[in-house]
Amino acid sequence: MRNGTVLLLLAALVLAGAACLTAPGTGSASAATVASTDSGAPSAIVMFPVSAKPNPKGSAMTPTVFNHLNHEKAIEKCETCHHTGDPVACGTCHTVEGKAEGKFVTLERAMHATDIHKRTDQNTPSSCVSCHAKQTRERQECAGCHAILTPRHDAAWCATCHNAKGSMTHQQLRAGIEGTLPLEENEAIAAKAEQAQKPNRLLTPMHGPYKVSIDALSEKYLPSNFTHRRHVSSLMERIRNDKLARAFHNSPAVLCSTCHHRSPLSAKPPKCGSCHTKEIDRMHPNRPNLKAAYHLQCMGCHKGMNVSRPKDTDCTTCHKARP
Amino acid sequence: MNRRKFLTFMGSAGVISALGTAKVAKAGVHTFPYYPDSYGVLHDTTRCIGCRRCEEACNIVNKLPKPKKPFTDTTVTGTKRRTSAYAWTVVNKYNVNGKDFFRKLQCFHCNDPACASACFAKCFQKQPDGSVTYDGSQCVGCRYCMIACPFYVPGFQYDEAFDPLVQKCTFCEPRLKEGKLPGCVEACPMDALTFGRRSDLLNVARARIAENPGKYVNYIYGEHDAGGTAWMVLAPAVSPASQEQDSKASEEKTANHEDEFKQLGLDRHLGTQPMGELTYGALGAVPMIVAFWPVLFGGAYAISKRREARYKAEKEAHIEATKNDLAAAVDAAVRKIEETQGPGAADTARRAMAEALKSREAASAAENGEDK
Repeated sequence: MRNGTVLLLLAALVLAGAACLTAPGTGSASAATVASTDSGAPSAIVMFPVSAKPNPKGSAMTPTVFNHLNHEKAIEKCETCHHTGDPVACGTCHTVEGKAEGKFVTLERAMHATDIHKRTDQNTPSSCVSCHAKQTRERQECAGCHAILTPRHDAAWCATCHNAKGSMTHQQLRAGIEGTLPLEENEAIAAKAEQAQKPNRLLTPMHGPYKVSIDALSEKYLPSNFTHRRHVSSLMERIRNDKLARAFHNSPAVLCSTCHHRSPLSAKPPKCGSCHTKEIDRMHPNRPNLKAAYHLQCMGCHKGMNVSRPKDTDCTTCHKARP
Repeated sequence: MNRRKFLTFMGSAGVISALGTAKVAKAGVHTFPYYPDSYGVLHDTTRCIGCRRCEEACNIVNKLPKPKKPFTDTTVTGTKRRTSAYAWTVVNKYNVNGKDFFRKLQCFHCNDPACASACFAKCFQKQPDGSVTYDGSQCVGCRYCMIACPFYVPGFQYDEAFDPLVQKCTFCEPRLKEGKLPGCVEACPMDALTFGRRSDLLNVARARIAENPGKYVNYIYGEHDAGGTAWMVLAPAVSPASQEQDSKASEEKTANHEDEFKQLGLDRHLGTQPMGELTYGALGAVPMIVAFWPVLFGGAYAISKRREARYKAEKEAHIEATKNDLAAAVDAAVRKIEETQGPGAADTARRAMAEALKSREAASAAENGEDK
C-alpha cells in the first residue's frame, strides 16, 4: 500500500508537470496568469514609440511594458491618465513626432514632462514621471529620502521602464511602431514580459552595521550613537509591499544611496568625511562641511517624513552634551 | 571791474554751470563701482533651523553686550525682531503657506548702498571685498542712514550720552582680512550660509535650484533687488495648503512665488534700482548750486550796486552845477543892485535871496524824503 501512495503521488506530479508544459502553447495562459482588470482594459500592455514616419529598420526607443492593472488599482480616476476622458491608448494622439489631435505634444513629453501647466478649463494631464515624482514627494514613507535626493536620470533609470525589447521579435517591434500589431499579440507579449520579470533584490538591514558611532566631530558634544540598522529597517519596512518602490528601487544598494550619496552604489560606501571636510572646502563652496552634511541629511529626511521628535534645535537628543 | 570784464566772467560761469547740469543729467545712469571679485553670502532658508548659533557667534566675535535672554532660547524667533546697535543679526520665524521657516537678517551689504548715498559725512563705504563699512569718526548722528536703508538694518546707540554711533553688521571685515569666515557663517551647523565670491554664489544658487526641482522658488533674492546685494537669499517653494482648488491654482503659480518671498518678509517692491538712484539727481545738483549761485547772485548784486553809485554821482554833479548856476545868478543880480541902488540894498537882497533858496531847499528835501 505504501508503494501505491507513492505511485499515485508520482502520477499526480507527472500530470501536473505535463499541464504546466503544455499550458503556454495554448495561448490562453496570459489571461490565466495576469489577473484581469475591473475596467475591462488589458491587464498589461506594451507601449511602443508609435510613429507616423516610415521606419524600415525599426530603430526606436525600447518599448515599455505597462502594467495597467497595478496602475488602475493605485489611482482613483481613469481621467488621471486618460485626461480627455476618452480611454484610448496614449499613442492615439501622442506620437513620437506629435500630431494635431494631441496638440503636438510628443509621446516623449506626454510620458516624461514634469512641468505641466495647470489647466483651468479641463482636467490637468499628468505624465508617468510627474505622477511618480508626486507620489515620492507626497507619501510620507517616500518623502524622507526623496526630500533630500533627486534620482539621477541615467541609463539605469530609463531602463526601469524601457526594458521590453528582449521579449519580442523584430517584426513585432516594427509592427508595434507602425501601430499595426494586433492587440492580442501585444497583450501576449506584455503578459510574457510581466511574468518574466523578477523582483529586485535589495540589501537587507543586516548587511549594514548595527550601530555607528559618529565621532569625527565630537568637541562640544559626545559622539552620536546612530542606530543604523534600526533606521534602515524602519525605512524598508514601510515600503516593503509598495509596488512603485519595488519597481524603481532596482539595484541592491539603491536605498543606501540616499545617505551614502554621490559614490558608486556599494554595500561598503566611503565615509562621509572622505568628501565632506571639517572646514568648508574652498574649492567646493557648495559642498557642505562635515557637520552640516550630517545635519542636512538627518534633518532633511526627518523633515520630509514629518518626524516630530527630536526638534531640530534639541541638540542633546542625538548627541549628549560633553560633561 | 568794468562791464566787459564782468560779462566775460559771467559768460564763463555760465559755461561751467552748463557743465554742472550735464553732470546732473548723467547722474540718471549713475553706476557705483562694481567690484567683480567681491564676496557675498548665500542664505538658504530651506536649511535654516532657527538655532540662533549665528546670533551667538556674531555677539562673541564682535564683543557685543550679552542679551537679556540667552541664545539657547529659540522662542524669541517667534517675534519679528529687528537688528539693533547691539544685535547685528537676528533670526526670525516666518510662516510660509502654513509651514515654518527661518530667515536671518543682517546688513545685506548692497552693491550700491543706500546708507552711503544718504550719508553726507561719507561714513559708509562699499569696499572692494564686498563689505559696506562704517567709520564713525565723522558721524554726526543724523541717522539718515537708518532712514535710507531699505532693510531697516543700521542701529543707533541711543543709550550713549557722548558720541553715540550707528552700528551694523561689518561682514566681519577684520576676520575676512585674517582669512577667516564671518562669525555667523562659521557657526552655522546647517551650512544655511554659504560664503564665497558673489559671482560664484549666483552659480551655486542656480545649481541648487536646478538640482532640487520643486524645492526652491526660482528666484535669487538680492541678485538684482535694490541694485544687487552681497548677501542673497533662497526661498523654499511651498504650495499652499489648500490644494483642492486646483482649478484656481493656474494663475497662482506666478503670483505664488512672489508670495513666498513676501511671507518670508522679503518684499520685492524694492525694484532693481539702487536706492541711491532716487536721490543722486537732486544731490548731484548741490555742488553746482553751491559753486555757481553765489557768483550769479553776487554779480547781480554788484551790478545793481554799481549802477546806483553812478546814478548818485551823476545826480550830485547835477545838483552841484545847479547850485553853482544859482550862486552865479544871485551874484550877478546882487552886483547889478549894488551898481544901481548901493551896497545896503545889495546886502538886503543877498540875504533875502539866500533865505529864499534855503527855505526852498528845505521844502524840496522834506518833499523827496531822505536823499542820500
